Amino acid sequence: MNRLKPLNKKAHQIDQAPDDDGVEKVVAMSASVVGCTTTFDPGWELDAFGGVAGLCQPMEADLYGCSDPCWWPAQVPDSMNSHRSWSEGVDSATLDWTKLQSVFPK
Amino acid sequence: MKIPRSTFPRRALQAGVAALLASLAAAAAAKDYIVTACRPGTLVVIDAQERKVVHAHPLPNGSKGHGPGAIVISPDGKVAYVLHNHWETVSGIDIDSGQEVFRAELSAGSVRGKSFNGMDLSPDGKELAVYVVRNELLPGEYQPRDPHIAVFDTAAGVKAEPVRTLPAPRRVGNLLWAPSGKTLYAFGWEMLKLDPQTGAVQGMHPFRSWKRTGFGQADTLNFWPQHEQSGVFVSPYFVPRTDRKPDSPEAMKAGLWTLDLKTDKVAFKEFENASVVLFSSVVNPMKQHEVFTVFNQLTRTDMRSGKSERVDLDHSFYSVNMSSDGREVYIGGAQGEVAFYDAQSLKKLGAVQMPGGADQSASSLRVVRR
Repeated sequence: MNRLKPLNKKAHQIDQAPDDDGVEKVVAMSASVVGCTTTFDPGWELDAFGGVAGLCQPMEADLYGCSDPCWWPAQVPDSMNSHRSWSEGVDSATLDWTKLQSVFPK
Repeated sequence: MKIPRSTFPRRALQAGVAALLASLAAAAAAKDYIVTACRPGTLVVIDAQERKVVHAHPLPNGSKGHGPGAIVISPDGKVAYVLHNHWETVSGIDIDSGQEVFRAELSAGSVRGKSFNGMDLSPDGKELAVYVVRNELLPGEYQPRDPHIAVFDTAAGVKAEPVRTLPAPRRVGNLLWAPSGKTLYAFGWEMLKLDPQTGAVQGMHPFRSWKRTGFGQADTLNFWPQHEQSGVFVSPYFVPRTDRKPDSPEAMKAGLWTLDLKTDKVAFKEFENASVVLFSSVVNPMKQHEVFTVFNQLTRTDMRSGKSERVDLDHSFYSVNMSSDGREVYIGGAQGEVAFYDAQSLKKLGAVQMPGGADQSASSLRVVRR
């Protein structure tokens, strides 16, 4: 193994595994995890009736209702798993939404 | 002390009357309290009559950047069990003192467990059932495990471990313990009836597999437990009509689906063509044919006639509950406000703000009389 160098993330994980059991836990050719929800629920931009009256009023009222249960992880950060501190210190989305920052893949 | 025989009945009568008066006085003095939660990990208790926050207890060792979820109140009204900490922890909080008297971690080792608000207490308050979705976090892979219902002894303190786990299907958003204690309802795709001891399926009321001539598959979103006063679970739903043209206003109907947890009887009513979004509903504890539903409007529906009345709200609300006398409607969730409405006129009576105006997000809105 000394002459082999890992070239991708999986290979790095095998290389860094502390023991044989750790190596076994690295699953090759697995899809990367995207998002955290099993729902595919269009509706952030338009409501179920094709308008906007059925969206949350104001939209900031729904911001944490969407990120807390990881409802729309493409539109708001997944604060349930991968961006747990995203809204820390910003307790009212309506009053303080300008303090919320964008997030980027880790 | 020897009591003369002639005076005993009178003394007993006097003692009985005194006890009755004391209990009547206590009942008269009892008040409705609204128990909810907001950021940053705060359990909030509101005196509904005085319209003020009386307690704001921090949830210990939890997340400050994620809203608490489901809340269940013990039968004696003293402890609130709150799902929090990225929905991986349930804490039992003494409502008066704020002390944590119970704590269960849903994650352990490499297995991350989360609850999506399915949680309820046994009728005697001795056991807490929590629906847990589990994934094993491997170095390069998330491996889904089967979800289960973890049952805890509520007397287990702050390091509670499940006393048993029950098999459960995916996508459960509500757990509802029947007053008999013999059935644990799990609402997701269907309303399953489970044996609380073994998890064996006793039966079910169909929802996804609900079939009616002229109707397609019903759809609902429901993870707000707010049935504690009426004993009736209610969920708004939408259902397409297959016997109408797709562009007809009647092609999609809105309805209310109820389950009486005591009698196991289901009732439903399509009350209008789908025209507004409906989030959650509550049954009036004093008039069980009356159902109130919220989102951007507050709607009162008569389940007998199907007639409804509606007012626009100041902003969106997710959750709804009622005063124990059925005269006031309490609405909350989403932003940091609990608003009070007259159940008959649907006029706004007042509002209470969360500390700092903090968002309640998806937390429950429960009512306890004490």
